[in-house]
Amino acid sequence: MAPACTEPLIDVAMTVDGARIAGRVRPRYLLSDFLREAAGAASVHIGCGQGLCGACTVAVDGVPVRACLMLAAQADECRVQTVASLNVLEGYNGAGLTPLQNSFREHHALQCGFCTPGLLVSTAIFLAENPRPARRAILQHLNGHLCRCTGYANIIAAIEAVAP
Amino acid sequence: MTPAAFDYARPDSVAAALALLHPNAQLLAGGQSFVPMLVRRAARPALVIDINRIPGLAQIELLPGTIRMGALVRLEQARCSDLVKSELAVLAAALEWVGNPVIRRRGTVVGNLVMNAPGAELPAVAVALGAKFLIRTRDGNTTTNPAHQALPGGSMVTHVLWPRQTGCGGFHEVSRRDGHVGVVSAAVSQNRDDSREDIRAEIRVGLSGICATGLACQAVARVIAAAQPAAPELRALAEALRADIGDRPLYGDLQAPIKYRLQVAPEVIRRAAHSMQAGTA
Repeated sequence: MAPACTEPLIDVAMTVDGARIAGRVRPRYLLSDFLREAAGAASVHIGCGQGLCGACTVAVDGVPVRACLMLAAQADECRVQTVASLNVLEGYNGAGLTPLQNSFREHHALQCGFCTPGLLVSTAIFLAENPRPARRAILQHLNGHLCRCTGYANIIAAIEAVAP
Repeated sequence: MTPAAFDYARPDSVAAALALLHPNAQLLAGGQSFVPMLVRRAARPALVIDINRIPGLAQIELLPGTIRMGALVRLEQARCSDLVKSELAVLAAALEWVGNPVIRRRGTVVGNLVMNAPGAELPAVAVALGAKFLIRTRDGNTTTNPAHQALPGGSMVTHVLWPRQTGCGGFHEVSRRDGHVGVVSAAVSQNRDDSREDIRAEIRVGLSGICATGLACQAVARVIAAAQPAAPELRALAEALRADIGDRPLYGDLQAPIKYRLQVAPEVIRRAAHSMQAGTA
């Protein structure tokens, strides 16, 4: 006979943008909720909540993932990077906006900004792995991100400008 | 969105995961299909068994005549694998269509096959290539099963075994949007056996999106073989498809009704056959 669910709390601890965050969570608590509520990372935007829109994309141990499709318990002892770590992801040591952020601003690649944090995180990783992407590769990369404002043309231009 | 309550376990071995399995427990690998089911509460397991930290399940290995993939091989890892590109070109072609790059980084090949969702690309490829699951049961036995068939209860797929592709293959899909779940996808492969004269008998076709799970299409394969090297006739493909479906229930949803799926399937098959004949995969 299947044992009944008792939902005991689980201890989790992870590094979020360089700070160690620990908490006791229910197993069903999603990483996206943990990052917003326990780690105060309000840049993790929750759009569709089921992995379609890409707004909550963060890096977990350097790999882009949908924070809404991961349990907080699964990220135990992991290194999580949100858009607040964009300079690290881009390898940029200067002050102010990173090259990618600047390019987004210059090309008007955002309007309401809801999709932007997730898009910047996954694009920074994409460019680190594909320094000179073909246009087709950029389009495939953008498949995972919904933007309802820009029509994508400006986002493509912004990405192409930092990866000539 | 928040899933219904469940307990969580993170075993560090296959044996430990199997010991935890019960009829209301679910294994969690990449979770790119399963977590959406949890948050929509379409799945309400009492226990989620996270297998992501079980060591030794993330390798793609070349065995004699077979490519073996562990249950934690990610879709993107398989897509980028030189071994997959050279030995399983149809699979490599199909992986281009699965989800999007971020989903593919986390979702697994085995998970995609186990979910066997209507329109999913990999079940069609598994049928066309004759892939098998390596299954471990609670009593410690290991068995194999065709990778598009339902799993026995209380068991875990530890690996998928892909027979090395010996001839050309082709894949095609119709979907509403790039990166969205396929409406209909077809995989065609031709196994070359130099010891036999008639290679036409070796064509195999897998179709996804017509029935609820991957469909093996022997009659369609015969039509493609008979027409070689020309392209098969659409009408002949449609008739053969009817024969292959037999009395199986058809699948339709809001994305595409049954009528459209049946209408588009012969063309999808024809294009997959054309890629095979052009030798692209």
